[in-house]
Amino acid sequence: MLEVLTFATLNGLVTGLLLFMLASGLTLIFSMMGVLNFAHASFYMLGAYFAYSISLQFGYWTGLVFAPLIVGVLGALVERYGLRKVHQSGHVAELVFTFGLAFLIEEAVQFSWGTDTKNYQTPESLNFPLFTLFGQEFSAYRGFMIAIAIAIFIGLYYMLTRSRIGIIIQAAITHPNTVANLGHNVPLIFMGVFGVGTALAGLAGVIAGPVLTTFPGMALVLGSIVFVIVVIGGLGSLAGAFIASLLIGLLQSFAIASDLGMPDLLNLLGVEFARDHPLNDLWTLTLPQVGPVLPFLLLVLVLIFRPAGLMGKRES
Amino acid sequence: MALLKKSAVWIVFALTMLILPQIFDSVLGISILNQMAIAIVFALSYNMLLGQGGMLSFGHAVYFGLGGFLAVHTLILIEAQVLTFSIVLIPLVGGLFGLLAALFVGSFSTRKAGTVFAMISLGIGELAVASSLIFVSFFGGEAGISGDRTYGPPFFGVEFFQDSEIYYVAAAWVLIATLFMYLFTQTPAGRLANAVRDNPERAAFIGYNARWVRYISFCAAGFFAGVAGGLFALNYEFLTEENLNAITSGRVLLMAYIGGLGYFIGPIIGAVALTLMNSLLSNYTDLWLLYLGLLFVLTVMFLPRGFAGLIMMHEVAWRRRTLKTLARPYLLTAIPASLFLLSCIGFIELAHLEGGSLSYLGMMLDPERPLTWVVLVAVVLASFFATRYSLPQLRRAWDEANSLRDEES
Amino acid sequence: MSILSLNNVHKNFGETAIIRGVDLSIRAGEKHAIIGPNGAGKSTLFHLISGRHHVSSGTITFKGEEIQNRPPHEINRLGLARSFQVTNIFPRLSVFENIRCALLWSQGYGYSFWHLLGRQTALNDKTAEVLEQISLQDRARFPAGELAYAQQRALELGIAVASGAEVIMLDEPVAGMSHSEAENAVDLIRRITEGKTLIMVEHDMNIVFDVADRISVLVYGEVIATDEPKKIRGNPRVQEAYLGEVVTGA
Repeated sequence: MLEVLTFATLNGLVTGLLLFMLASGLTLIFSMMGVLNFAHASFYMLGAYFAYSISLQFGYWTGLVFAPLIVGVLGALVERYGLRKVHQSGHVAELVFTFGLAFLIEEAVQFSWGTDTKNYQTPESLNFPLFTLFGQEFSAYRGFMIAIAIAIFIGLYYMLTRSRIGIIIQAAITHPNTVANLGHNVPLIFMGVFGVGTALAGLAGVIAGPVLTTFPGMALVLGSIVFVIVVIGGLGSLAGAFIASLLIGLLQSFAIASDLGMPDLLNLLGVEFARDHPLNDLWTLTLPQVGPVLPFLLLVLVLIFRPAGLMGKRES
Repeated sequence: MALLKKSAVWIVFALTMLILPQIFDSVLGISILNQMAIAIVFALSYNMLLGQGGMLSFGHAVYFGLGGFLAVHTLILIEAQVLTFSIVLIPLVGGLFGLLAALFVGSFSTRKAGTVFAMISLGIGELAVASSLIFVSFFGGEAGISGDRTYGPPFFGVEFFQDSEIYYVAAAWVLIATLFMYLFTQTPAGRLANAVRDNPERAAFIGYNARWVRYISFCAAGFFAGVAGGLFALNYEFLTEENLNAITSGRVLLMAYIGGLGYFIGPIIGAVALTLMNSLLSNYTDLWLLYLGLLFVLTVMFLPRGFAGLIMMHEVAWRRRTLKTLARPYLLTAIPASLFLLSCIGFIELAHLEGGSLSYLGMMLDPERPLTWVVLVAVVLASFFATRYSLPQLRRAWDEANSLRDEES
Repeated sequence: MSILSLNNVHKNFGETAIIRGVDLSIRAGEKHAIIGPNGAGKSTLFHLISGRHHVSSGTITFKGEEIQNRPPHEINRLGLARSFQVTNIFPRLSVFENIRCALLWSQGYGYSFWHLLGRQTALNDKTAEVLEQISLQDRARFPAGELAYAQQRALELGIAVASGAEVIMLDEPVAGMSHSEAENAVDLIRRITEGKTLIMVEHDMNIVFDVADRISVLVYGEVIATDEPKKIRGNPRVQEAYLGEVVTGA
């Protein structure tokens, strides 16, 4: 029992932190520009693919450095030439644009790299077990993932609250006109934030690619969950995104690890249903089955009862 | 007489739908026409939400799918002789289930429009897909549910073995649904939906609760999406979780947006265009989805009012009868632009080729020969600059055609 | 005979107190102007009355009923209409439809999706009437967003009035207008609010003294005086608030 619990927690932690890497960039972009970037997970996917291609020639670590940079530049270009143009057509148009972008990127990835799963490997240097608990190994690579994610959170937090550019960004979030009047180049800041946000997503892709498999559907898999996190955590709150990421990561991990389900609950209540009962599907429901759905259930519930999310400041 | 004039458009619409299957009477042709019919109703229902009501939904396929699933189950019940009624009423069954679902979801999702609404719709969509894999008895799990439409009582002697016979049922429903969706826009609820879309605050200050206005539009849209789902069930006799999922939701968004949100006819154009692309283009290239994606993104960026908007932009010139003056300028721009488009497509297709040569526009292009690439790139660049060069003259002609010079206002 | 009254109304935004205990009583049928220096809270006061903001404390009574914290559409249905400082119309609807929408509730259509608007003769006639009143009948088919500024303001006035509200609140109705445009606007306001109660926020003192039966002066979230125009002019507290000093002589 303890073994299951421990590993579920560890796995949940890794997943949660990975999700946070994605959610942090998305939150930043949303805070700044009021745009929920549907294509955010697509940049994550691009990060993985670029890193994969680079790693074939130059090894994993080169990919780790350069792939996020490439993705960040792409993101900045998208903002400059795409998003900015669409901005004048309104919020709905922006959202639709990022949606179309997600679609386009997925097709472009399939065009450039094919539809098969790529054999993107973890680096040799991290291919050892960090520790062994209850007879199961916890690989160093996963420890590396945790370390990077935490480093990002700390880095972002300090940058936003302590550095000069961070203060300017925070101000530009709520008062873009004032900041512009003070002589700062707000469009440039926007482009920069978008670039950084997408670079973060790309970094997440570089790191997660070997573990979560690199294939054209990887954006879809994570994309919706990341939205759920950002919304639940509170649109615009980095701390909220962190909490929500961990929450969702742990929730899913525990749901999958446990074998609990409706049958156990019914047994407890002493109720039994015949096998051909019309709602049989409902009575035989188990947690692992429901696991993937839980985030969305949570999303809908949060949006109904607390649209501002757990810690949200900015509601669109 | 005035009534005849107003109904002229509808009469033409009905006649066109009657004539089309006579012209395109192949199996493929009928199949495409049926697909178009379904798509038109679906896209128009989506426009009630987005174009009329300003509500961006990423989960509209839920009502389409639910309507379809209940329709198939109804077919099964008819076949088992538990129920007996003509299958031409099946779309109504689909519509009612779609309405029921919308009544439920709308009760909490229409409180706000904007990003919150979009996110809820996304969540509901995912929940629906997930449920479909859990509640296997209703949704059939991964295999889906199939039925048979030929077991219903004959309708004036027709037993609907043929797809062409189903076409006329579909056409009738398209006509009815389109008519009612159009009439909705002419009612207080429909107009208020526009008002709430434009300025929800102001709508409150004329005495209307924006949320109720949105709720009504939402339920109406759910109903008609269910009707489309019912038509789908009649046509294919088979539904899977795919019909509920985000891809289907995304497709109807594309249709409505590319066609043009701000005009009633926009989604019809989008539905027809996308159905054609889907059926025909996919035969020529594997990359048609890529092109679709490009088309969509470019439309959002450069044609925010869609292709209907593009057409309607010419309304002023048409009324002023200056449309003719635009013919030559358009031609001068269209030639290099088409060349640019074709050469880009050729480039992309050639880049994607895995061995062998590409048969394109009657030419054989060999990717191994560097000359092929040089020529392609040269044409792309040349036509690009030629297009740019031709734009000022088009712009001038446009301004002139639209100018207020001799128009009494 | 007070048709609208505010009792010790407070409004705080976070830590900042914007409205600090306002007592106000508007008589039925009067033309009441609210003036005051910038930042006094005039727009906020309007928002509190019309339901856009909730009060932090205090009551607002309209025709005997308490309306504070009620949703705007309910307050509107009770008979209170307002215009906005920034033009607030339905830009993509035609001028005609803007007015017609404003008439829908009071004409009893509710949320109907079974009446065809084209066939509602009584409704359409009334719409035409209102359009004539605001002199926009020639622009009936234009999209409202394409009107000139002064005409949009007139349209906004028309929307506020169309519903047949008894109390009309206008927030800086002639802001941004040229002198002649403002004159026309004031004329229109006078005509259109005959027999109704008018509450107006305005900076142009000529208009205020011309139109108002009574004036309230709002300074730093408090009403420091409510009286007839002549008496307000001579009120030392008012003078101090505006000019920083008391002026001797009228």
